[in-house]
Amino acid sequence: MGGLLNLVLKRLGLGLITLLVVSILIFFAVELLPGDTAEQILGQGATEETVAALREQLGLNRPWYVRYLDWLSGAVVGDFGVSALSGEPVMDVIGGRFVNTLFLAAYAAVLAVPLAITLGVIVALLRNTVFDRVANVLTLTSISSPEFFLGYILILFLAVKNPFFPAIASLSDGMSLGELLNRTFLPALTLVLVVTAHMMRMTRAAIINLLASPYIEMARLKGVSPWRVIVRHALPNAWAPIINVVALNLAYLITGVVLVEVVFVYPGIGQALVDAVAKRNFPVVQAASLIFAATFILLNLAADVGAILTNPRLRHPK
Amino acid sequence: MSAKFLEKDILLEIEDLQIQGYSEETWIDIIKGVNLTLHRGEVLGLIGESGAGKSTIGAAAMGYARDGTRISGGRIEFDGIELTTATESDKRSLRGSRIAYVAQSAAASFNPAHKIIDQHTEAPVQYRIQKRLEAQEDAMKLYEQLRLPNPNEIGFRYPHQVSGGQLQRAMTAMAMSCRPDLIIFDEPTTALDVTTQIEVLAAIRDIVDQYNTAAIYITHDLAVVAQMADTIKVLLKGEEVEQASTVEMLENPQEDYTKSLWAVRSFKRPQKARPKDGTEPIISVKNIDAAYTGGVKVLDDVSFDIYPGMTVAVVGESGSGKSTTARCITGLLPPMAGEIQFKGDTLPPKYTDRSKDQLRQAQMIYQMADTALNPKVQINEIIGRPAQFYSGLKGTALKQRVDELLDLIELEPSKYYYRYPPELSGGQKQRIGIARALAAEPEFIICDEVTSALDQLVAEGILKLLDRLQRDLGLAYMFITHDLATVRSIADEVVVMQNGKVVEQGPKDKMFTPPHHPYTDLLLSSVPEMDPNWLTTLLEERGVDNIGEKADV
Amino acid sequence: MMFFVIGYYVFLLLASVVLSLFNQTKWFRMVFALFLVSIIVGIVGGAPALRAIAIFAALLATAAALSFAFKEFLILIVRPNLAKELRTAPLTASFGIFIIFTYAIAGTFAPWIAPYGQAEVIAGAFAPADANMLLGADQLGRDVFSRIIYGARNSVGLALISTLGAFILGALAGLLAAVKGGWFDQFMGRVADIIMSVPSLIFALLMLSIFGTKSWVIVLVVAIIYSPRVFRLTRAVAGNIVVMDYIEAAKLRGEGDWYLIRREILPNSTAPLIAEFGLEFVFVFLLIAGLSFLGLGIQPPTADWGSMVRENATLISFGDITPLIPAAAIALLTVSVNFVVDWMLWRSSGLKEK
Repeated sequence: MGGLLNLVLKRLGLGLITLLVVSILIFFAVELLPGDTAEQILGQGATEETVAALREQLGLNRPWYVRYLDWLSGAVVGDFGVSALSGEPVMDVIGGRFVNTLFLAAYAAVLAVPLAITLGVIVALLRNTVFDRVANVLTLTSISSPEFFLGYILILFLAVKNPFFPAIASLSDGMSLGELLNRTFLPALTLVLVVTAHMMRMTRAAIINLLASPYIEMARLKGVSPWRVIVRHALPNAWAPIINVVALNLAYLITGVVLVEVVFVYPGIGQALVDAVAKRNFPVVQAASLIFAATFILLNLAADVGAILTNPRLRHPK
Repeated sequence: MSAKFLEKDILLEIEDLQIQGYSEETWIDIIKGVNLTLHRGEVLGLIGESGAGKSTIGAAAMGYARDGTRISGGRIEFDGIELTTATESDKRSLRGSRIAYVAQSAAASFNPAHKIIDQHTEAPVQYRIQKRLEAQEDAMKLYEQLRLPNPNEIGFRYPHQVSGGQLQRAMTAMAMSCRPDLIIFDEPTTALDVTTQIEVLAAIRDIVDQYNTAAIYITHDLAVVAQMADTIKVLLKGEEVEQASTVEMLENPQEDYTKSLWAVRSFKRPQKARPKDGTEPIISVKNIDAAYTGGVKVLDDVSFDIYPGMTVAVVGESGSGKSTTARCITGLLPPMAGEIQFKGDTLPPKYTDRSKDQLRQAQMIYQMADTALNPKVQINEIIGRPAQFYSGLKGTALKQRVDELLDLIELEPSKYYYRYPPELSGGQKQRIGIARALAAEPEFIICDEVTSALDQLVAEGILKLLDRLQRDLGLAYMFITHDLATVRSIADEVVVMQNGKVVEQGPKDKMFTPPHHPYTDLLLSSVPEMDPNWLTTLLEERGVDNIGEKADV
Repeated sequence: MMFFVIGYYVFLLLASVVLSLFNQTKWFRMVFALFLVSIIVGIVGGAPALRAIAIFAALLATAAALSFAFKEFLILIVRPNLAKELRTAPLTASFGIFIIFTYAIAGTFAPWIAPYGQAEVIAGAFAPADANMLLGADQLGRDVFSRIIYGARNSVGLALISTLGAFILGALAGLLAAVKGGWFDQFMGRVADIIMSVPSLIFALLMLSIFGTKSWVIVLVVAIIYSPRVFRLTRAVAGNIVVMDYIEAAKLRGEGDWYLIRREILPNSTAPLIAEFGLEFVFVFLLIAGLSFLGLGIQPPTADWGSMVRENATLISFGDITPLIPAAAIALLTVSVNFVVDWMLWRSSGLKEK
């Protein structure tokens, strides 16, 4: 088991280093700008003295590595500094929104993952039939469509023409869970459509790849029933590719969620990021980017670790 | 038909079998009407070159058509059951219980996620022949009969924890689990080394004999089939060439094609001795050690000399370091210690540090002509590039040189000048590879298993060509091979390698006459011979219990 | 209404009878299944639902007929060996090729095709469609149809340039990494990993917020974001070629890296690289469309599909489909490219699978 633990730790370490490099990237991209946060907060009319005073107050006249370490150590405990516009702590601006985004992504994932994997396996078993062809065209269409296209189509048909669901996913305090699920159904459905298509295709490819292995043919030639071939011979080897598919698509959700939040005016971190970008509110941009990147890296990491843990060759070393 | 088997004991009868394969949007015939009769307890050897359709027939005997193939005509009758019309579930109930299958690559055909014994007991438990525990005990018994080490324990390992030869025997045991009437062996020893092959062959033969199981033994190796089969059927491109009992087939083949297969290397050239006038060796390998990055030592103190105009054969099993030595000589893998000398001058260890002239001197011909020639480059450029690169030839001079080289390898220049490699046959590709080496005008050529991917007759043509070129151009060859027949026919000196060390070296005649180093002995005696009693005799000589064990270091 | 419903069912029933008489089992099954489904849909949704099905089926049939005719036309005009390949193409692929051609023509000849300029105000805000304006006017009174045509030039053009940039960067790095190997290979791999570990949209937003939304910035940022994908593929394809003996032979001959890439590796990797170009274009195009939709793409008044969706988005709540048209234009192109790529990938892998 030592080898396995080693491998996992190595992968975790690598993920941590990647995250560190990305944080440096995010921090210093902003440093490349002419002027600094102090000038931005105060605007053009400010005098040298007031700017210098604010710089002093914000600690901007310290060397870059001190500021980076300061920022990073703050970020680790959730303190991203203050918003350049309102002056309130960044965490107050995006903290609640991040929870909302996670809720939306989780909602979509809960619907999409079982659906996509089941459909993917079915399509793989029915490969080269009419059903498979139709599924291929439909999934290709779905992954080719921009999220906002799917979103507006859903609004048009399920909110405007047939008012089943609200078009705007506004949240308020004290909503019941049922109400919440109903309000956020359309954005979640949009995400489900895109992610399911992706996942179905990847699952199909993984299963077909697996079914071509000599040991599957061997099982068939041993007289094992088709159902048992899938459950006992294919599935134990399919975990790694399936975990990979799921994690990659959850990571994809993180990106897709930004556009969907804007379409449905959903109060998530994606919208906050877009607003901050438009208003050049860099502390918020940095914080949101780092949170997105960290989630993304974490999911990829989970995929790799999952693949390592389910690999029989690694689980039972020589 | 062998008189040993009675007419009433017919187990499997195939009549006018036709199978088609799907490629390029159409169905193409791959088996064109083959008949086959197999009696209870009979072992039938199916032999033929790659593409003859042996494997396809083997699968069809189980009523199984691989993906992309279909049985398009004929009858397959197994013990009174017509398999071409039987339902899928009827056929399935035969597989594993009454007809079993042993695949070529045991490593790929065992499911990596389950223990060997769990895969073994799957069929007997499913067919309710035995309970799980009974089946496990039976498995251990079979493991013992197949002479697997630790028979009570080995089944509880995962496939990747067991060596290839052992895995192949475990797969034979698995095929035996329901005591089937028929087992299909699909090239079971092709992927194994000669010394390992013996154990597997012996084990398979014993167990098939013991349970009086009928078998179809598919292989391309004549000597192997001669040990295993009662009857031999020769196939060529999906059609039967001839069939006869093993003894008759070996002694008295009827068809020309069969005779050509049987003809043991007829080519033999006189052995040359080292020049006595103090000529320096052209290549001298001096005490080299080598390892791949971060790995263990793969070469340990390897030394030998190659004199001008001579052929030195380097033999050994896979992993013995013979190809690695070649990589050290060419400079692809700089040795950790020791040096390579060319005519007494030390060569820089890395090829990137060598001069054009030094690079020119050591040329290589590869085993797989398919990967040795760029499929998207015309023949004239493949051959012309070295001439242009080293000698600066251009225009008509270059064209003339290419024509000259094509003449040298006996290919009509006008016909091949603008062709691409995929349009050529295997032997022609190998000739182009030789021409490319010659274009550099070297004095020394490394031939890496150049004939092992070719059919017998074509291989012989290549050997003759290499010999003629050696005489005409005074070339020295380092001939890497595992095929001792080739060594016998063309080598002057032999270097035997094992586990990265030179075990023994010397002139060919001395190397082939006892006394040998024990490993040389094992290697020499493990190569199957065309004599049907060879395996029996060998087993008697060595004793059943230590076949091949000496090789497991 | 009654006639339509009766006619609908009678037509389906007759069609399935005819198909079964002519032994077209596959088609019969599909038509008859549609008939059965229609009965249920008819009960639940009434005539409008049936009408929707009929319209959808008619659209599908038209698209199929168009693709078929276009394929036959292509087969007639191209070289024989290309025609042979085309004959095996599924209808989706020829549909894709047809759409790509249409877009290319629209984009190239935009000023001649579009009735008005892209920034020309010709009517009141959100004026409905009339004889002059095929699709009505947008929020500033500009002709939507003209802007869609111009969008083919602006949006697709920008995406193409970005894809080319990503391709040149990624492919060059990939080929060099494969040939050189060693620390260069390792280093480039790590760089690619890091760029890919940030979600592409987030990366783009970050960079554009800092450097602004000038066109060249968009091209550069998008090219950098997507080059690692090309790098990985090229590295993998070239990696499979580099281990071939003919590369070793060329190396031992003393050939330089550039010769290896140009003469030995590139000729053997064109097929996967072309398919990857198509895929890459889809990703890039969707990203740029997403950025424009968020207001960070091509800046007004230049017509651009993503921003057109954003500008007209409010209309959707009145049941007006104007914002859907540019979005559909995006989806149609990406679907088409994907159809063609899918066919190309199937061609190169399908032979193995069979």
